Order: sequence, then structure tokens, then C-alpha cells
Amino acid sequence: MSENGQSVAAPDSAGGVDKVIDLREIDVYYGRVNALSKVTLEVRQGEIVALIGSNGAGKTTTLRTISGLISPRTGEVRLFGKTTRGMGAAQIARLGVGHAPEGRRLFPRMTVRENLDMGAYSRGDRAGIRTDLESVYTLFPRLRERDSQLAGSLSGGEQQMVAIGRALMSSPKVLLLDEPSLGLAPILVDAIFEVIREINAKGTTILLIEQNALLALKTAVRGYVLETGSVALSGPAEELIASPDIQRAYLGM
Amino acid sequence: MSEYKGPPAADPGALGVGTSRGGSAMLVAQSGLAPRHGRAGGILGGLGPLVRLLQGWISTYFSLLLLGMMALAIGLTGVQHGVTLMGEQIKNALVLGAIYALVAIGYTMVYGIIELINFAHGDVFTASGFYAFGFASLFHLDSLATGSFGGLILALVIVFPLSMIAAGVTGALIEFVAYRRLRDAPRLAPLITAIGVSFLIEGIMLVVEGPDNVTTHMASWINGEAFSIAGVSVGYTDLFVIGMALVLMFALGAFVRRTRLGKAMRSTAQDRTAALLCGININRTISATFFIGSALAAAAAIIYSINYGVLKWNIGFHLGIIAFTAAVLGGIGNIVGAGVGGFLIGIIYVFGGSLFGGEWSEALIFAVLVLILTFRPVGLFGVEVTTRA
Amino acid sequence: MVKPTKGLLSIGTIAALGVLAACGTSSTPTSSSGGATGIAGCHGTITVATDLPLTGGDATDGPFPQLAAELAVNQAIAHKLLGGCTLKYVSKDDSTVLKNGHDPAQGAANITALASDATVMGVVGPFNSSVALAEIPVASTNHLAIISPANTNPCLTAVVPVCSDPTININTASLYPGAHTYFRVIASDVQQSEIDAYIAAKVVNATKVYLIDDQEAYGRGLALLFKKYYTTTEGGTIVGQASLPGATSTFATQISLAKSEGAQAIFFGGTTGNGCGLVRRDMGSAGFNVPVLGGDGCEDTKFISDANSGANTSEAEGSYATSAPDVTKLASSATFFSQYAAAYSTKAAPYNDGTKEPYTAYGYDAMNILLQAIHATLVANGGQPLSSPQAFRDAVVAQLRNTSYDGALGHTTFDANGDTTNTGFTLYKVTSGNWVGVNTYAVDTSGKVTVKS
Repeated sequence: MSENGQSVAAPDSAGGVDKVIDLREIDVYYGRVNALSKVTLEVRQGEIVALIGSNGAGKTTTLRTISGLISPRTGEVRLFGKTTRGMGAAQIARLGVGHAPEGRRLFPRMTVRENLDMGAYSRGDRAGIRTDLESVYTLFPRLRERDSQLAGSLSGGEQQMVAIGRALMSSPKVLLLDEPSLGLAPILVDAIFEVIREINAKGTTILLIEQNALLALKTAVRGYVLETGSVALSGPAEELIASPDIQRAYLGM
Repeated sequence: MSEYKGPPAADPGALGVGTSRGGSAMLVAQSGLAPRHGRAGGILGGLGPLVRLLQGWISTYFSLLLLGMMALAIGLTGVQHGVTLMGEQIKNALVLGAIYALVAIGYTMVYGIIELINFAHGDVFTASGFYAFGFASLFHLDSLATGSFGGLILALVIVFPLSMIAAGVTGALIEFVAYRRLRDAPRLAPLITAIGVSFLIEGIMLVVEGPDNVTTHMASWINGEAFSIAGVSVGYTDLFVIGMALVLMFALGAFVRRTRLGKAMRSTAQDRTAALLCGININRTISATFFIGSALAAAAAIIYSINYGVLKWNIGFHLGIIAFTAAVLGGIGNIVGAGVGGFLIGIIYVFGGSLFGGEWSEALIFAVLVLILTFRPVGLFGVEVTTRA
Repeated sequence: MVKPTKGLLSIGTIAALGVLAACGTSSTPTSSSGGATGIAGCHGTITVATDLPLTGGDATDGPFPQLAAELAVNQAIAHKLLGGCTLKYVSKDDSTVLKNGHDPAQGAANITALASDATVMGVVGPFNSSVALAEIPVASTNHLAIISPANTNPCLTAVVPVCSDPTININTASLYPGAHTYFRVIASDVQQSEIDAYIAAKVVNATKVYLIDDQEAYGRGLALLFKKYYTTTEGGTIVGQASLPGATSTFATQISLAKSEGAQAIFFGGTTGNGCGLVRRDMGSAGFNVPVLGGDGCEDTKFISDANSGANTSEAEGSYATSAPDVTKLASSATFFSQYAAAYSTKAAPYNDGTKEPYTAYGYDAMNILLQAIHATLVANGGQPLSSPQAFRDAVVAQLRNTSYDGALGHTTFDANGDTTNTGFTLYKVTSGNWVGVNTYAVDTSGKVTVKS
């Protein structure tokens, strides 16, 4: 565990081949406002990594930068070992990045099924799409029932399922989840996290933002703590849980 | 890509008026908590909740009220002047409405996808009418179309696709040159640019085509009476205008519902960020939207030309504003709404003019616009307020 | 003026209007001068001016009457019409870049400037009725005579029922805070509509007419006046009335109504640019075959092409319109047009040919009438200018009231309102794809319409 958060990269990953996400000292600005400064972060193949921090710390901005919705002013975003400089969000999505964004951002006037289909927009393999649709329905049986209902009319939990399902429909190599538990009943939160573990078990790498830091760190193998746009702490999840600073600031202990 | 702003129809707070029973009930319930307005004391102050109740009621039943008033106007025409005039005016309304509907769709598609009132759309309509005139002259389609029925079909098969493609390219080009760079600029910037583009196209047409009506000779393509009922003579042209508009609208509807590009257009309109995350090429989708909207304007212009026989450099501006009202009436961003709105505006225009005098036709249309914006800003077919939590 | 700009007035058989002298005599009226009245001994400077739109969008209108008026001044100088006095001429342009043509504010400023020059005794102008509205009060306050070659709005000189209509909204009385110093040598729309009403009733033989206007001051005024004279003088019935904006692309609703009401004619008050011909086209589509009658705004070739643009390519046939007689065809104008051509042969086309614009001869006669009045004033004052400029101007206005002038347009006198009595409108009918003159009608002050030729 590194206290300064700057030299997080473990020595064994120097080759970078198994680094799915590799952020190198990125600075992000909204106009003149500095949202991220010198953020360095990596997610390796098969991991669940949690990104925690208080509101406004820059978690969502980090995910948006990875998906190409925002470009860093300095620094580099590398995905699957290649730089994404000059690529648009749509192109990055097609590389295999599934992003269930903040606020779910469903297509409210399209049915559940159409929303899921849009997730598979850039895929051509019909058979694969059908299989993935089946597996989404298996993960979220509710969605099969709501199949032809307009997404805008769903409950919050169901919308979250569609958002995750849509991201999964692109058959992503890495899944970015932004607050999957937001606004959900506790019983649903557990269910969603159960699904997240299932998805990961099938081989999808996951980068997760979560308000509930304890739940996030229990699910993840590693974690990053963002404070006002910088990485304050990072390390294996169990170490972070054990850290007194984290316990005081984020776990309410 | 900057921060995305949600589409208006799905923005619960922006419009301020409840559009469901629940919404209006909430407005009434909240009135007790709302700060009292200094001037609205006394009796008027007491009327506040009543007025709000009434407003909520009108909002809820706006569509029914409007349709009821139209039915009343149609019936009244029949009672006052007889069935023949009523029938003739219905025919006139449908013919006019068909053209408004096709133009309205272009406005609504563009507004739906980039929230821009594309003021140049009406002028693309006019320009594509001139394209069609040009193609008809180039390929001597007049003699072909008037020669035989087969010749007419052939002429139509030539002139529609060519003009629609030319118009589509024009529309996409306008987007590329004038609007794309301003996509993330404050809303006023593209709006003013759109007005500028409109003036530019009108100026070009004024110079090229002159200030007067230009006879396109296309009115001679289709003529003759198809049938006559209750003294109302329905011409083949009337049937062509209405039929062609319906066919094109259904084709567009199927396109948008079923095809990959259509779905990309719908999802981009509903949530551009999410569309990007799904891997949709936004620029290409927006170009396609302009292309299709403009192509429909071209179809409308050909239909116009076949029905009216003349074009003038500035007809599109006027017609465009009325068509835009049709789009708002139907629910801006909603393609079905624009189609139906076009026909409804045709009815308001014709029967308003028939009952109250022609000088009231346009006043009535804009009165309806004000009423929609007051009582049902999402339009007749607008989506009920949805919340994205 | 509120009419559209026209090119050459159209073809048609126009018999000579007016009777007497050719204008050659009017340009040398000084034969009796000199001698006893001592005008040769006149000393001082007298200035006359024109105020017309010369640039921008009006560059094809104003320069013609301006050049014609200047020709009249040059002829007067050559013939020493004002004896020993120096005759000066000033040309003002009421166009601005801002308006790309005539600008009422500029017109008012021009008249103010001219009025402040004590030697200015009269102005020929303006061209446009909107400019006249701004200029008349200034001229009235300053006792300055202005003679328009082209204003046809009736409300400039007299209160007629249409003046309070919202689209026109002219308070005639307020135009004249001082003396009534405004005159015009062209007939107003009142006379035209009286003749139109007569034609609808007596030539078309319609007892029921449907009325459409284009919402503009000219068209709406004409329609309202037509309605007045058709219903009162002629005893006809207006079965319906619609007022539609110039951008109207279809009149189908109104045609259906007119048909349903059994109209025997449709009168269109307005211009071809605002739909006159399209009304005829839509009547064809609706299978409604009664005549269309319009004013001078409809009598042009665009009417015919618009009317024929529908499925029936000879729909325009049999349509009627009244218009000012073609002054280029008048025997009285022949000398003037040849003098104009001779004087301006070096000008670029089209300005080298006075017949290219309908108002050229009006500008010439207006200036000659002004010069005649000044001449008469000098004669009446013992051959000398009056010492007080204001009294001089008043005397010129008084002389203008007594005008009896034979010029290019025929015989001109003014009534109490300053309107010309030299009225006359020709009825044209579309025959074999052309407007062909049928008859020329005149109306007297009692409203009686007679066939002039």
C-alpha cells in the first residue's frame, strides 16, 4: 500500500500486457476547473477494482475519461495496451469498454429490449448477441418480464439492471460501473453486487465506483481512494479496509 | 464532448406544468406552501388554486379539447354552408396538411436529435423544389409525365430520388458547415447561425431564380377528377398529395423503428452520451438525420410543385414556420406527432379561415401554438414526464 | 405610390386620352411673357427641386421621373420661362442604404432642408406613399408646394372610409398642420375602385362578388373602396371577404367559400406578387369558372404565368384588370418622349428611354405644372418675386390650385384636395395569353363612370 498514491503500479505489471486500463498521470479540466490532477490508475485483466471517495472527488470524471467522454489535458489513457489518444467515445466503446454511466442514462422512450439491443449496436455476430441477451435475462429475470416496456417507466432498480445489462450486451472486456447501488433498496443492492461478482467470474474485468465503500472494497480485489481529484490511497482491498484512515473517513467506523 | 443535457421531453422540471393527473394534483396540493404573491391577494388570491385546477384540467384534456374544437369547426361549416363546402374544405385541409406534415417531420427530427430549430429547413424545402424543377427540365420529364401513365410513373421515379438525394446532401452539408462546430456552444449560437443559413439560401435563390413566382410546369403532370362524392370533386392530384405523404411518413416510421440507423437516430436523440457509450457514431447519425429530414422536405416540395405549379424563393420561410408549429403541436422530437400535427394544422388553417375569414388562419395557428406552450408544452404526442433517477 | 414596379406598361389599344395640345406647346408657354408684365426684368433666384428615390432597390423607378423633371427645368431655362430671374434646380434622393431604397425619414429630412432654402418654391415628389406621409406635414408647415408624380394612396389627400382601417391607418387631417400644399398628377385608388365597381356590375354583370385582399395598404385599400362603391353605387352584394398575407401559397379555402356562396366574380385587391394570379390558378383547380377582376397591381405578365401555372395552362383567359392608361401611347405624350430620348441619348440603358417606366411623363408634367404656377405668380406680381418667401410660396400654391394645364398626360386640373381630375383607367382582359385593352373609363367628381373611348 502506498501512502502518496503516485507509485502505485506494482513491479510485476511493468510489461503492461495484462493491463486492461492504464491511466498515466492524467489531468482533466472542466473549462478552468481542475477535476483530476495527475491521476495514475490501472486495472488488470480479471480484476474487480473499486474507486471510492467522497462526492466531487473525481470518480465519475475518471470513468468518463476512460470511456473517452472527456479528454485529458495531459497524461495518457491506455486501454488494452494501446493509447486512446485521438479516439472518440464511440470508438473506445467498440474496443470493448462497457460503461454503465452515472444516472443510468437509458433511452427512456425505447423498450427494455431495444435498450439492450442498443448495447450490442456495434456487434455483428447475431448468435453471440442472442446468447448474451439470454445471459442478461438470466442475470436479471425481471428484465425478461419487462421486455417490451418503455425504459423510462421502469423502477430505479430495474433501470439499473437495464443499464448494466446494456453495458454487458456489448460483450465488453472491461465494464465500468458508476454507482450501481444508488437509490436502490438494500435487498436489491445485495442482488446487484451478487450479479457483479457473477459477471466478473465469467471473465469480465470491472472498474467500480461505489458510495458504499465497505461493500465496494469487499467486492473488489484492489481499491483506489480519490480525494479532490487526486489518488490519495491505493492498494489491495483488504488492506484498505484495514486502514484506520479509510475506516474513519469512508467506512464510518 | 462536453456535459450532456437531457432531452427536453424527458426533463421533468423544465416545463413547469404537470401533464398528468398526478402532476396537476400535486400542483394544487403545493399551492398552500407556495409563497403568496403580494398582488394576488383578496378574491383573486383565493382563486389561485381554482385557476391552477383549471389549468391542470386543461393540460390533461388538451388533446381532447383541441380535437373537439376542430370537430366543432368542421361540423359548424357543414351546418352553415352545407356538406359540399365541408367536404371541399376537408379536402383542402388534408392537401395542405400533407405538405405541412412532411416539412414538420424535418424540423422535429433535427430538433429531436440536436435540439436546434433548424430555420434553414423551410428554405431547403424551397431549394429542393428548384432542384426537382431542374431535374425535370434536364431530363425533359414534362413531356414524359404528360405523355402516358407509365411515363408519369417513370418521371416520378426519376425526380423523387434525385431531388431527395440532392436535398439530403444539401441538408447534411448545412449541418457539417454551419452547425457541427457549434454543437456544444450556447444554444443561441446555432440558432442564430440557422437564421443566417436561412437568409443565405433565400438570397441565393433570389439571385438565381428571381423575385417572382417560377412556374415549374409540374402541375400538368397529374390532372383530372378521380371521383366526386356529395358534390365534392376529388382530383387525382389531391389523392396523390395525400397518398404520397402518408406513404412517405409510414416508410420513415418503419425506417426509424426497425433499421439500425433508425435506432441509432432515436437513441442519439434520447441520450447522446449513452449513444456514444453504445459505440454509435454521433456525427454520422446526425448527418443522416439531416439527410433524411431534408430528403422528406424535397418530397414535400415535389408534391407542392405538382399540386401548385409554382415556386418562389421565399415560400419556404413562411411554410416552414407553420410546419414548425405543426411539429410543436405534435410534440417536438416526435415523428408521429409531426405527421399528425401537420394534418391538424391543415385543418385549423382551412377551417379557421373558412369560419372566421382568411386573415384569421395564421393567427389561429399561432394562438394554438401559444395554448400548447401554456397548457401542454410536450405537445399532443409528447411523452408523459419521465424521471431518470 | 404603393403599386409594384412595372416595366413597360403593357400592350393594348389605347386611344388618345385628353384632347388638346401636344406638349411642345407647353414647353414654350412663354410666348406671352416679357412685354407688359415685365417678367424679363425679373431679378432674383428661384429654385425648384425633385425628391425621388434614385438608388438601391428603387434605382429602376425614381430616376425616370427625376430626369423628366430635370428636362422640364432645362427647357424652361432655355425658353426663359421665368424671364430675368435665375432658375435653379436641385435633385434630392430619398433612398438610404439602410432601407435599400426609399426611406420616409430621409424624405422628411430632404423636405426640411429644401424648405429652409428661401429660394425653393416647390418640389416634385415623392414617389412612394409612405414617403409622402412623412413629407406632407413638413411641406405643409413650411408652405411649400409638393407635387407627386406617383402617389396613389387616397388617404394622402382626403378622408375616405378605408383610411382608418388598421392596415392603412392614416389620419389625413394630421398630415396638414399648416396649408394644404400637396398635389398629385396621378389618379388615386379611389377613382380606380369606383371604376372597378362599375366594371364588376356593368361589364362582368356580377351581382355577387367575393373579395380577397393582400393585407397591404394598397391592396386592402383598393378592396375596401371597391366594397364601398360596389355595394352602394352599384347595389351589388359582397358574399365574402378574406384578407391574406402576401406569402399565401394557396387560396383554395377562399375559392371553396366563394363557390359555395355563389359568387359571380372574385375581386382581388393587391399585387400579382401577393397572389393575384394564384387566385385564378386555384379557381382552376377548384373548377370555379367566374371572372377574376383586379386593379393595376394585377395587370402584368406575371399574372398570366401564375394563373397558367396549374393544371390548366390557359386558366388566365378572360381575367380582367384595370390599370392606368399607357401614357406612352397617348398622342399628347409623343413629343415629350422624343424630347426625352434626344436629351438623354447618352445615358445608359434603360435611362435613355423614358417609355421604360410608367411614371416618366408624370414627373415631366408635375414639374411643368410647378413651373407654370411660379411663372403665373411672377406675372401676377408685376414680373417680380414676392419679397416674403412665405408669401411667395403661398402664392405659388394658390396658382397651383388654378392649374389648367395641357401636357404629356393630357389636360390636368386639380380638385379641392389637390387630386388631379385627369383620371382614366383602362380595362384590360386576358385574351390569347395577353392583356388586351377593352375600354378606357373615366369617373367624375360625382362618381359617375363613363366610357372615355
